[in-house]
Amino acid sequence: MSSTNSRTTNLPKLTDPEAASAMFEAVRAVAEQSFFAVAEPTDDRSFGVAAVQVSRWLVATVGFEQGPLSGTVSCTLPEHLANGLFDAFTGRDPGDPAPATLLVHDLIGEFSNMVCGAWLTRVEGGRTFTLSHPSVEPAMKPAAAGDMRLVTAIDDLPVAVDLRLSAIKRLNGVPQA
Amino acid sequence: MRILIVDDSAMMRAMIKRVITLTDVPVESILEASNGREGLELLQKHDVQLLLTDINMPVMTGAEMLREIAGHERWRGMSRVIISTDGSPERREEAADLDVRCYLEKPFSPEVLRDVLNELTDNELTETD
Repeated sequence: MSSTNSRTTNLPKLTDPEAASAMFEAVRAVAEQSFFAVAEPTDDRSFGVAAVQVSRWLVATVGFEQGPLSGTVSCTLPEHLANGLFDAFTGRDPGDPAPATLLVHDLIGEFSNMVCGAWLTRVEGGRTFTLSHPSVEPAMKPAAAGDMRLVTAIDDLPVAVDLRLSAIKRLNGVPQA
Repeated sequence: MRILIVDDSAMMRAMIKRVITLTDVPVESILEASNGREGLELLQKHDVQLLLTDINMPVMTGAEMLREIAGHERWRGMSRVIISTDGSPERREEAADLDVRCYLEKPFSPEVLRDVLNELTDNELTETD
């Protein structure tokens, strides 16, 4: 996957395209390996068109610290995609009783946890890091983009991944702020 | 074999339990904890032969729990497996110093975990023979 296959918006500080490419690779690895789902690159326009058809979203956020780098990664995805990912992860038959909301939120929190960890491992693979316990909130629409936004499609449904930095001194050896 | 799974995600613990049932691991019982502190309390109450733990958890991390039990005679024979999103060489080196037999990086497929557990069980049985 080259960096041109993933799209980012509002990227005032993270100018290294490798960071954006690594985020897409992280999403794809998590979707495919743990959720048997297909993640594909998309663009802002396609994301916007698909997003207006979604009325209920989940936003899963995890905080991270890795040396001089700290912030949050938020995954925003349609609630019905979250339910589909739950079924894929657990092997739940769609005809079974609906899972408890708490369990779906737990799993989507784990999804964001894995995306954040996989991204950090890719951008600064040599350093260890700490992650906070994820928080998951319902939303009527995606929040405003973070310092870096990746838009992608998982199983043809729109997903946004936002990186918000609270501190950064360097990324891949390049001073950022 | 008594197994302890330590992970702050209930769904991840459920997935690991499900995979264990698909392996050759002879299971006596499976215990669960949502952080290192709870895990430590269960380790002190029960004889556990296989510990599967996450790293990043609230209250007490998996690394802190492993440091607490490192070097203790009681847990000398217990196999330790880390299942974590942190795949950094620094964390892996730390794990090696804490007697961790296997380091599995998230995300992973259920088949990978199954193979790791089968291999671990085969090696344990070979060493016991």
